[in-house]
Amino acid sequence: MRLFVSGLRKLVRRPASWVTLGLLVGLLVLILIAVGGTASDRVNATREAAAKDLVTFPGAYSRVLQFITGLGGLFAVIYGAAIAGSEWSWGTLKSSVARGESRVRYILISYVSVAVMIGFGLLITFAAGVIAATVGAHLANVSTSGLGDTATLGGLPERLLKGWFAIVEEGALGFTIATLARSQLAGIGVGIAFYFGESFATIFLPDIVRYLPFSVANAALATTSSGTGGGVLGGGVTDVLPPDQALLLVGVWLVGALVVAALFADRAEIAG
Amino acid sequence: MSGTAGLALATRGLRKNYGSRHALDGLNLSVPMGVVYGFLGPNGAGKTTTMRVLTGLVRPDGGTVEVLGKPFKRGDRHRLFDVGALVESPTFYPYLSARANLRELAASGAPVPSKRIEELLDLVGLCDRANDKVQGYSMGMKQRLGIAAALLSDPKLLLLDEPANGLDPAGIVAMRDTLRALAAQGKTVFISSHLLAEVQVMADVVGIIAAGKLVREGPLKELLSMQGVVKVRVRPNLVDAAIKTLQPLAAADRLIESDREEGWLAVHVSADRAEDVNQQLAGAGIFASGLESGTDLEMLFLELTGGQAVGGEGTFVGLGAPTNGSATTGKETAA
Repeated sequence: MRLFVSGLRKLVRRPASWVTLGLLVGLLVLILIAVGGTASDRVNATREAAAKDLVTFPGAYSRVLQFITGLGGLFAVIYGAAIAGSEWSWGTLKSSVARGESRVRYILISYVSVAVMIGFGLLITFAAGVIAATVGAHLANVSTSGLGDTATLGGLPERLLKGWFAIVEEGALGFTIATLARSQLAGIGVGIAFYFGESFATIFLPDIVRYLPFSVANAALATTSSGTGGGVLGGGVTDVLPPDQALLLVGVWLVGALVVAALFADRAEIAG
Repeated sequence: MSGTAGLALATRGLRKNYGSRHALDGLNLSVPMGVVYGFLGPNGAGKTTTMRVLTGLVRPDGGTVEVLGKPFKRGDRHRLFDVGALVESPTFYPYLSARANLRELAASGAPVPSKRIEELLDLVGLCDRANDKVQGYSMGMKQRLGIAAALLSDPKLLLLDEPANGLDPAGIVAMRDTLRALAAQGKTVFISSHLLAEVQVMADVVGIIAAGKLVREGPLKELLSMQGVVKVRVRPNLVDAAIKTLQPLAAADRLIESDREEGWLAVHVSADRAEDVNQQLAGAGIFASGLESGTDLEMLFLELTGGQAVGGEGTFVGLGAPTNGSATTGKETAA
């Protein structure tokens, strides 16, 4: 427990936590307010309707969540890689191991702390997005009566939970890549490359890519069983897995990534 | 493990290879309880690899390790709860303060009472800067914090790799006093270092490693008494006669070296035998114009390690030190 609490304290004090959250919240708020503020200036009715749709509730709830799980997934990869990589780059894992700490326990509990931070980040960003969409709706002269839509609000906890689970899986991949690379920078670089690489690969290998971690994370959040996948870029068009199957695979990727990270750390020779 | 009773740390036949290179090649260390042990060796001799093995950071390819009288194998990480270590350079979260770093480090391994952190900050003289971020610390301050981190669990065995690195003279003296005080309390302090003068002042027992093997180990005083030297200066034309006269004094396997141009002779006998040397010369009608005596860990170190560094190349040649195990020139290396 003290290792978990310590992990959380370290993450709360870490500038990377607040920079990541700030970027995500900043971009989301900027987009929603900018779209709301300029919705009436669109050159044709179709574009104006599309802009207003973005800030119209209850649909805005889904749009905010989609933005968070899309770009947030990429940020989670970077964040997870930064946390794991720095333990090797700064040599702090070495200090704990030399004090008799279990490597496996240290790695797994470190990631549990990251997962909790991702949960807080998701909630804060979602709240900021809803507030920004409300402001955007006022700027666009759109009614906010859908804010209290009970059917949508009732389904929000489950969707937020699934969103958190998917982002945690994506973060775990970055975490594991950086652990294998034993480097913060290499982990972030390779993590980003994997993220975008999977999106581009949907063009050539759609049947395989739909089982890959970022695609299943997106598919797990879909409200219908068919559509497009491929990460934040939208990627190539391909059939995605049904949400329930995708959610199961998200769990498999998450557990697999953490097992690999823990086993690697357990067997690694720590030097430097 | 045989013959390890009363030892704080013991290794037997410890081996570690990096590819084809033997970093440790059958290392046998015997570190008694309650002493300051100086672990000496040239660069690349295997000191840091030994520290890594002793702290569980790397696993040996062969041999055994005993820590505080119990076997230390894979899975025996709890043995390290009684061990404090500073391996290579001290490592911290740069965005946290010294106090926060110690608190977070204390969350791993053996439990640490919170008041211990304040005691240690006071001990290493960092109280005034304890809330500053470590990224703004000088090397010496980080080293002080590293020593505090090693002491967190009030360890029975302290493993320190080059603890004087970056410390100012006052810091070195304070560290020395602290480590001596810990040994006086019955704790064992194992210091890996290449600062021979520092070890000579501080250590009770030394072990010298070269090419992954222990080449000498024992109480420092004992080793130095075997390594004494008396230098005597005579007229250059009397050097041969002086050598003949003094030969019976020198141990059978030790040489008398000379610098003929200057007339200096180095006689490898216990340093307290300077009077005997003088008397022997005078008895033969040879009168010394200069006489010096002393003991020197550096000389012992150079002789045992051949003044060698990684790959066996003599790195001290340019400074006038020997390039093999025995050919010293008295004037340049004697105390």
